[in-house]
Amino acid sequence: MLLDVLIGNLGYLLRGAVVTVGLAAATVVPSAVIGMVLALAKVFGGMGVRAVVDVYLYVIRGVPLLVLLFFMYYALPYSGIDMPPLVGGVLVMSLYFGAFMAEIFRAAILSLPRAQWDAARSLGMRRRLLFQIVIYPQVFRLAAPPFVNTCILLVKSTSLVSIISLWELTLAGREVAERTFAPLQIFGGVALIYFVLCYGLSRYGLYLEERMRFAH
Amino acid sequence: MPTEPAAHGRPMVELRRVSMSFGRLRVLNDVSLTVSRGEMVAIIGPSGSGKTTLLRCINFLAEYDGGEVLVDGETVGFRLENGRRIRRTEREIAATRSNIGIVFQSYNLFPHMTVLRNITAAPIRVKGVSPEEAEARARALLSRIGLLEKADELPVNLSGGQQQRVAIARALAMQPKVMLFDEVTSALDPELVGEVLAVMKSLADDGMTMVVVTHEMQFAREIANRIVFMDEGAIVEEGDPKRLFSAPATERLRAFLKRYRESYLLS
Amino acid sequence: MNAFVARYLSVFLDGALVTVELALAAIAIVIVWGLVVAVARLSRVRGLAALAGGYIQLMRNTPLLVQIYFIYFGFAMAGFGLSGFASGLLALCLQNGAYAAEIYRGGLQSLSVKQIEGGRALGMTPWLTFRIVVLPQAVARVVPPLGNQFVLILKDTSIVSAIAVGELTHVGKLLSERTAATYEIFFVLAAFYLVMTSIVTTLVRLNERRVALLV
Repeated sequence: MLLDVLIGNLGYLLRGAVVTVGLAAATVVPSAVIGMVLALAKVFGGMGVRAVVDVYLYVIRGVPLLVLLFFMYYALPYSGIDMPPLVGGVLVMSLYFGAFMAEIFRAAILSLPRAQWDAARSLGMRRRLLFQIVIYPQVFRLAAPPFVNTCILLVKSTSLVSIISLWELTLAGREVAERTFAPLQIFGGVALIYFVLCYGLSRYGLYLEERMRFAH
Repeated sequence: MPTEPAAHGRPMVELRRVSMSFGRLRVLNDVSLTVSRGEMVAIIGPSGSGKTTLLRCINFLAEYDGGEVLVDGETVGFRLENGRRIRRTEREIAATRSNIGIVFQSYNLFPHMTVLRNITAAPIRVKGVSPEEAEARARALLSRIGLLEKADELPVNLSGGQQQRVAIARALAMQPKVMLFDEVTSALDPELVGEVLAVMKSLADDGMTMVVVTHEMQFAREIANRIVFMDEGAIVEEGDPKRLFSAPATERLRAFLKRYRESYLLS
Repeated sequence: MNAFVARYLSVFLDGALVTVELALAAIAIVIVWGLVVAVARLSRVRGLAALAGGYIQLMRNTPLLVQIYFIYFGFAMAGFGLSGFASGLLALCLQNGAYAAEIYRGGLQSLSVKQIEGGRALGMTPWLTFRIVVLPQAVARVVPPLGNQFVLILKDTSIVSAIAVGELTHVGKLLSERTAATYEIFFVLAAFYLVMTSIVTTLVRLNERRVALLV
């Protein structure tokens, strides 16, 4: 099968890939922050706080991301909130993946030996310092491998925003495929680009996992 | 035999009728204990006797329900106001803790920091010591325990005995008034125990006030000024090591020592 | 809200039915296909293991939506077009089959050789050991994450709406375009999905033990 159509449009697709990477990068930080906040709430919060977090996690894990994106896309104009769909998309994805990060961070926090907390407090460290130099560094190191794997899912999920007309790699592919009538080539090429991005991340995740094995 | 502690003057550690319960379980039952300046007290007893909990009350890692704990004259964790117990602020508690050193059984060191940073982090960030001085102090301590060459290593590359010695150095770097030891050799391979006990001995020789919860009877008998035997949340017997071990006054201590000797002989 | 729900309930139910059909079909196929791929992955035949491994990597690193487009538009262009439902089902099975294969692989590999040696030492034949020692444990280890994967399959059916298959999300999208009742639609959709995923989760949890005993 000749790949000239794909090669001819590769530049356009790659520009879409750049947007995809940007979307993913923009989502990673907020979702990590949300995830950490939720994890801390679940580990240290009172019954009321934990119940609220549990409801949130239940809803997010039970409702498809696409439905949440649709809701944002169609409901936002009616609410009078003047937010560009791009920002809305990143926000929804952050809220969505934040819920998955929460479980990762929660597991990491709980896996820290109690003596770490005891030792830090015994040295006279107060909460802020304790978290800053003892807890967070270790939690992030512990959570890194599953975190990176979640990032792979995140990158793949950015494809969904194409359905609400946000331009990125998948939408670019659809445009080209419709124009050139070469869906096999084009979507194959799009898949390949995603593969390169995600496989790279998965190798990084494996590398982190290896490093972890020597750390404890 | 270490130097005789000051028998007069304010005691370094005072536990007055300390009680603590976990739900219905009474872990500590009206325990009173005084530790003089420079004294080395070893606490022995079967597991579940409350000895670790008692130790943790001293630096308020365990929040006791009743009684008082004083370190160098200051109440720990609570203060009395018009007869009412008021919990101290986090800041006060942290400040008190920074003057009490403690070494745990395991997982003491922060695995993501080098040995040097483990020792200097708290002096710098908690006590405001300058980084240069903290590092100098740390290297001096490492030199003293014979681990100066490991200063830039991560804890994972040290043996258990080396890690515990570094943990002692880390606690000493805060220049504490009293050092607490919670079964610090129990999790070590036998051949690594000696190096840790040697450090503890030299600390005692230098006049540090120490409270040591331990299973190392030989060590306790040789180094401690006083032995305290606990069982079921109370102090059953205490006194001079030589006397206690050779002629225990209570039946429970006799039984405990018998069990210990039997298992020791068999191993 | 009630008026809206009453008026359009049958439409939502139709959509939900398609969702359930799609999900159940995919789950049933994935249970078997995942095992096949896992066995291939663990086989001693190098070519087979590599092929399975490559398939798994390909599925895990490419989005479901792109796979759906590839199959739906690509096959049509190549001459053997599949319906939206069929394309969606195929893509769901291919994608989730890879994840299921990894779950199976994890379950099978986590069993130590010691277990089998222990059984042999007691005088059991390898097959007996496998059946009453290894397999129950493998099944117990595999059921919870597989159950989780089933929930993911259910949620993934929403993506098939992109090629106008009349499942629940697509129904919601059409209604959003026609009416202004976005909030109501969202709540109905969310309620449907939450109920469905909760049912799946509960069913899996209830059957965890039974499946292990069955084996």
